[in-house]
Amino acid sequence: MALILERLTMNFGDGGERPNIITVTKLNTIAKDLLATSKDLNEVWVSGEVSNLTKHSSGHYYFTLKDDISEVRCTLFKFARSKLSIELNENMKVLVFGSMSVYVAKGNYQFNVLDVKAQGLGDLYLAYEALKKKLEGEGLFDTARKRPLPRFPKRIGVVTSPTGAAIRDILNVTARRFPADVLIAPALVQGEGAAESIVQGIASLNQARVDVIIVGRGGGSLEDLWAFNEEMVARAIYASKVPVVSAVGHEVDFTISDLVADLRAPTPSAAAELVLPDRVEERRNLVHLLARAQKGLSATLGRMRQRLMRTDRTLSPKTFLVDIQQHEVRLDELSGLLDIFVKKKVDLDAHRLDALRASLVGLDPMRVLDRGYCVIQSVGGGILNSVTKVNQGDEVRIVMRDGALKAQVTRKE
Amino acid sequence: MTMSDERNVDEMSFEEAIKELEGLVKVLEKGELDLETSLKVYGRATVLKERCKKILDDSERKVQSIIDGGEIADFQ
Repeated sequence: MALILERLTMNFGDGGERPNIITVTKLNTIAKDLLATSKDLNEVWVSGEVSNLTKHSSGHYYFTLKDDISEVRCTLFKFARSKLSIELNENMKVLVFGSMSVYVAKGNYQFNVLDVKAQGLGDLYLAYEALKKKLEGEGLFDTARKRPLPRFPKRIGVVTSPTGAAIRDILNVTARRFPADVLIAPALVQGEGAAESIVQGIASLNQARVDVIIVGRGGGSLEDLWAFNEEMVARAIYASKVPVVSAVGHEVDFTISDLVADLRAPTPSAAAELVLPDRVEERRNLVHLLARAQKGLSATLGRMRQRLMRTDRTLSPKTFLVDIQQHEVRLDELSGLLDIFVKKKVDLDAHRLDALRASLVGLDPMRVLDRGYCVIQSVGGGILNSVTKVNQGDEVRIVMRDGALKAQVTRKE
Repeated sequence: MTMSDERNVDEMSFEEAIKELEGLVKVLEKGELDLETSLKVYGRATVLKERCKKILDDSERKVQSIIDGGEIADFQ
């Protein structure tokens, strides 16, 4: 201690060279600048494993990149992170691209990450992205190219493992649905030779002229599913004459096969349901169709009935009768009129009769008697209106207003 | 009428039968046919429906597998 102080005193002593005293800030800044000039520490790829990953609410990520012996603090700022195609996870093996820098405020150094590529899985991701871009550019994913599935397939083909869960699921579901034969093209669905065997399966089923093909397998890791991201499988699906439904058991990511296929199903069971219509629903549909036919027919019958009634009116005996009845009514009307006329005539005649009768009353001989005249009748009843018809001594009958007298003619004058 | 009157319904696939049935239903719903033809069409519709129903009820199906050399065998 004493020695150090002495040295300091010495160095600050008169005539001695003035020591280069710098601030902490300056120190760290110099260190920072120094690091910035090193080719070996700037814009380099570093491999390691992610740990102590902190995803800050600011959008920046902080983590430690380590290997078996050493570790380094890393920063992944928001602007760089937003350009990444992968998401960082704890324990992920990665290649990071960036530069070493000093954080002046804390005096520690850190690696500022500008890009990240995953190792291992990461390579697969990269291959996936690259193939996706390539095939997309060639139009393999075009929605316009997607073919409709047959409505009622007679035979469906399945490319999958004959021992996997996928085929069991598919057979279970298809048994319940619209009856169709199933032709299986057994295939390896993971590992060495999987892609080739899937390609072969698609070709065989095309040859067998199935109506639709399901290509798939149950869920698994990205590596397990890898065959479905292989270019040769994608091209085989694309080349298939028969519509293809992809059924790779994972719901989150899309495999390349999903993208090329005419239809993507999230699981093998779902694929079976998409490919075959529901039996119960079809039965219901049949009933519904026939009900519509019945309704249509009865509407037609109703219309026909109406039209018949219109057009056949002149011919049918029934309407003929109606016509007759109508004529009868007319006749009745006419005869009624006739009656009225007749009655009127009769009335008129009666009236005239009355008038005549009235005038006749004036001529009634009996009425003359009222006025004091008499009628003289012969015994035979004949009216004696001349003395020549009477002789002296004849008996006559004198009819008066209220009776008759018998008299004898005593003398002719 | 251009419908395939002569076709034997028993030989028709479900799709063929239901397609014709759907067509006939539309024709009947339009109601532009005379009575006799309408009745004939309705009769055929019922036959087609029975054909479809029979296919639906028939749960027989083959599950086969392509074995080595492209042969086809029953799947176990």
